[in-house]
Amino acid sequence: MLNSTAQPITQPELDLKETIGAGKLRGFWKLMTGFRGKYLVSTVSMGVAAIMNTVTFLLLAAFVDHFMVGGDRTIPLAVYVAGFLGLAIVQAGATFNSRRLAAKTAEGIARRIREYIYDHIQRLSFTYHDKTQTGELIQRATSDIDTIRRFFADQAIEAGRIVMLFVVNFIAIYLLDWRLAWFSVIIVPIVMVISLFFFRRVEKAYEAYQTQEAKLSSTLQENLSGVRVVKAFARQEYEENKFDVENKEKYRRGRHLLLMHALFWPITDIMCAGQMLGGFLFAGWLTITGEITLGTYVAYAGLVVWIIWPLRNLGRLIVQMSESLVSFGRISEVVKEEREPVLEGSVRTDQPVKGEIIFEDVHFAYAGTDRSALHGVSFRVQPGQSVALIGGTGSGKSSLVNLLPRFYEYTSGRILLDGVELKEYPRHYLRRQIGIVEQEPFLFSRTVRDNITYGVTRAVPDDEVEAAARAAAIHEVILNKLPQGYDTLVGERGITLSGGQKQRVAIARTLLKDPRILILDDSTSAVDFETEAEIRQALRTLMQGRTTFIIAHRIQSVMDADLILVLEHGRIVQRGAHQELVEQDGIYRRIYLAQTRLEAELEEELSRV
Amino acid sequence: MSEHIEFEEEEFNTRFSGQTIRRLASLLRPYALWVIGFLSMVMMVSGLDSYFTYLSKRMVDEGISAGNWGMLLQIVEQYAALILIQAVAVFGFIWLAGILGERIRYDLRQTLFNHLQELSLTYYNRTPVGWIISRVTSDTDRVAELVTWGLLDVTWSSFNIITALFFMWQISWQLTLIVMVIVPIIIVVATFFQKRIIVQYREVRKVNSKITGAYNETITGVRVIKALDREEANLREFGKLTGEMYQAGYRAAWYSALFLPTVQLISAVAIVSIVTYAGVTVNNNGLSVGGMYAFISYVLFMVWPVQEMARVFAEMQQAVASGERIFSLIDAVPDIVDKPGAYDVDHLRGDIVFEHVDFQYEEGKPILCDFNLHVRHGETIALVGPTGGGKSTIVNLLCRFFEPTGGRIMLSGHDYTDLTQHAIQSRIGMVLQTPHLFSGTIRENIRYGRLEASDQEVEEAAKLAGAHAFIEKLEKGYEEQVGEGGVLLSTGQKQLLSLARAVLAKPDIFIMDEATASVDTLTEALIQQGMDTLMKECTSFVIAHRLSTIRNATRILVIEDGRIKEMGTHRELLKLGGHYHRLYTQQFRQEVVTQVDELATLLADIDMSAVEDASAPPADGRTNGKVTVDLAFAD
Repeated sequence: MLNSTAQPITQPELDLKETIGAGKLRGFWKLMTGFRGKYLVSTVSMGVAAIMNTVTFLLLAAFVDHFMVGGDRTIPLAVYVAGFLGLAIVQAGATFNSRRLAAKTAEGIARRIREYIYDHIQRLSFTYHDKTQTGELIQRATSDIDTIRRFFADQAIEAGRIVMLFVVNFIAIYLLDWRLAWFSVIIVPIVMVISLFFFRRVEKAYEAYQTQEAKLSSTLQENLSGVRVVKAFARQEYEENKFDVENKEKYRRGRHLLLMHALFWPITDIMCAGQMLGGFLFAGWLTITGEITLGTYVAYAGLVVWIIWPLRNLGRLIVQMSESLVSFGRISEVVKEEREPVLEGSVRTDQPVKGEIIFEDVHFAYAGTDRSALHGVSFRVQPGQSVALIGGTGSGKSSLVNLLPRFYEYTSGRILLDGVELKEYPRHYLRRQIGIVEQEPFLFSRTVRDNITYGVTRAVPDDEVEAAARAAAIHEVILNKLPQGYDTLVGERGITLSGGQKQRVAIARTLLKDPRILILDDSTSAVDFETEAEIRQALRTLMQGRTTFIIAHRIQSVMDADLILVLEHGRIVQRGAHQELVEQDGIYRRIYLAQTRLEAELEEELSRV
Repeated sequence: MSEHIEFEEEEFNTRFSGQTIRRLASLLRPYALWVIGFLSMVMMVSGLDSYFTYLSKRMVDEGISAGNWGMLLQIVEQYAALILIQAVAVFGFIWLAGILGERIRYDLRQTLFNHLQELSLTYYNRTPVGWIISRVTSDTDRVAELVTWGLLDVTWSSFNIITALFFMWQISWQLTLIVMVIVPIIIVVATFFQKRIIVQYREVRKVNSKITGAYNETITGVRVIKALDREEANLREFGKLTGEMYQAGYRAAWYSALFLPTVQLISAVAIVSIVTYAGVTVNNNGLSVGGMYAFISYVLFMVWPVQEMARVFAEMQQAVASGERIFSLIDAVPDIVDKPGAYDVDHLRGDIVFEHVDFQYEEGKPILCDFNLHVRHGETIALVGPTGGGKSTIVNLLCRFFEPTGGRIMLSGHDYTDLTQHAIQSRIGMVLQTPHLFSGTIRENIRYGRLEASDQEVEEAAKLAGAHAFIEKLEKGYEEQVGEGGVLLSTGQKQLLSLARAVLAKPDIFIMDEATASVDTLTEALIQQGMDTLMKECTSFVIAHRLSTIRNATRILVIEDGRIKEMGTHRELLKLGGHYHRLYTQQFRQEVVTQVDELATLLADIDMSAVEDASAPPADGRTNGKVTVDLAFAD
């Protein structure tokens, strides 16, 4: 039975976006799409279990009245025994079934939200990711989803069970004797109110306790990561006192939390136990005066327990459930954000682009700012040509290249790719045509091989991977320097590659992707001469036959470019080939001269000694 | 890397080691009275729970069945009084056990933290911070839970079963014998389930951390994912993870769902035996109605104590493992301890001598061999060379974060192992490559250098270090919060603050590990100024990355493979045309790149301000910056 769950669940497609507009409670209802049947069966099973439990006591009453006290043996003992056993089996089966289906529902819903949020996150725009903190987003994707899972798996079911127990047993007692029924629930509203009040406050106190725990951990974390500073200044004692202050505060908050528990439980104990005892006394009086039978008394004593005690937990469940609503709200906020429509655009082709690019008076400002990052930029590149962008921080170099894969949308003007406006190309298609090698490329925590093939969806044979690595001048490093060669795990959980090595892996990755348009960030990190020469060679291989944009940091790398654009505050202030620009008076010449002077200085210094 | 594997979380193949359990018990020794207090209260509560059922039986038999109203009232009165007493006991045990738990948490954490302050860097080098944090936080929690609530639950449960059996025996010893058969069965079943449930939840946690990792990577790498158009493949991969999660979560829930009904089914068998017994013996003065009612209540209730016990015993294995890890941390001995009779000195303003120093972190992998160096007071030593060559090792040895495995280090004529660690470390000022700040205000962070410094002295130090200007510009000035680890400040600003901190400490020896991350020219000039201030007063060791620092040093040491490859002034070393020559040219070219970017930014800004206001002179900072750049170029 358990193994049947090994198959992945087949889920009905559900766009979470639809559930979001619906208001929280209706939102929960919509989340259950596709699972409502299961959940209904789960609820019904739970009801069946509650009824079986009650019937057991009623059967006991009959047994006492007829078999034991009345001496009426028309129904043989075996029948009673079979009845008890049968009821127990049905009850056990129903309980199991209810829990099992609730878990299936909860896990299924959680899985669906997890996948949706994951996909959603990777399809949200750059603008969204620019303004959102990683930790915050992860929190929503993990613990908030888990809160919702618990809502369906435990809380809703448990709350339902308590309510159902109450209703079923109340009706049963009512049928035994209506006075007893009403008498037994006097305390109920009071206990409910107290427990609701109590758990709200406990929730707050618990949060305060947890906050302090987090503070204590971060004090510890700070101390551990700054251990050299602590030792260098011989501040051990100071640190111990600092930790002690936080530690004491946590103790204090823990005590506050405890005090509330230490008061709540005995007080409600007295109330519930008192109510029960009162019920016993009342029912006892009714029995002695002959209004009810002894069997009825026994049944009543058994049933009343199920009305009173579970109620104390209802307060806790209600408070927890209201928290799930908060989590739902936090997830909704993410879901509400618009995805990038990656398929939108009128161009429908599988052919690669040629790579002619024309900028016509392009303006661009980042969302939420009024300062424009690009200001009337116009230029033209032929297929296969290279454009070098040079300029300081904030000059608009990155903004310009970020427009090409449509990471951001330009605000006015036109960008034409092969004569067609860029906005007509689906992002999905466009991004397949463009390769990017960043300054400090991001590698994923998987093997080197997987990182190299990360950009292509087809299965890549090993020799093709190695050919790409060889062209990127990283093959030797992988074979000789990495412990498991191509199967070495890199990134967060693996080994750390140097900046130059990462860059070459990224070059290999881009070579395999084989894009028509290339964007390079040309700052080689501190690497030695030979490596740098190798990287340059690899880049040259990569650039062959592709329209290339180079974000340049030194004159050497722009000298060969077909077109150099000098950017200042989002405007092109100079353009042309190296030779033309050197001859003009302007910023390019000043940079060129400064650099030449620096290098001449070095030469001189080296020759002087 | 391989070292870290042994710290992998969640190893539960630990068997119960008697010694660990004894040590865990010894945690309670100072609180023996508390323990006796809450245990006796919980026994009272537990015993009363059983007695209440017995009272109910008497109500039925002696009061109701017998039609004796007076007797019924009498029993009810007794019952009511006991409810009140039990409530007081409940308050007592929650309060006592809870407070004790918090106390033990507090004690353990403080002990661990204080011990951690004593441990040497060797320990920190081979132990991941995350591992230590889990020891101090979650492991102490588990242990505190075990020795308070765990102990309490087991006591409550076992006492409840014992007293229940006692009262059952009073009612009918024959039937008690029958019922007693099911107790061990329930225990076995409960243990079976609890073990499996725990294993499943461990699996859930494992998959969960994979999922969190996937989210983390996707969010941080989202730009690359988009650029490579990788979304669909990623979703497919992630789908496998959520599938695993679904399975693990469902399995855990499946076991939990099956557990309770199974146990209830077993008790149903017991109830059936009770009913049968009552039915069979009804004619010859057998079980009374109240007796049968009591037996059924006892059996129905018995599920809970058994479940509790199974839970505690299943969790106990984890808690004992937690205890073992805590004790292993407490038992870790600091590598560096003051010798008996270690002394303090007035100052360390003398020569520093490394005499035939050998050093290795690991047996058989020497880092330094026969290292000799004599530094006169006031010198500035620049250490250059490739990463992993041994530069940091020299600095760490000097600070006595590690001690030489051979040879000795003399500070002002004292073998430094004869001095107290405090004597050395309180006279060292240190600025790290990635400056570490503590959450709190700027003022608190600078004052870390000398706790008794006045506000004025703090500001004085900030001025000397060149940090004052930027602090003044902050909204709250010196009272501005720096955020956790200083996240609210830029790298350059953090470095300026840690310089001010070192200035305030008035060290005799100054150690700086220069940042490789580029900061803007203006800040860099300020950092340079701060360093110069300190270097004038002290003997300085700088792990140098910037050309200006290297050029200004009195001596440059090129360290490679744990040896001094070359030593001399800038000019001397260039003349050699060896390692230094190569390193210098490489570094130079790197600096050219940053300067080109820097210059382009500056020129653009100057153009802009010229456009905006042709008549006004450029803003102060800009002029400074430009001057600095020009100076750097002319240097």
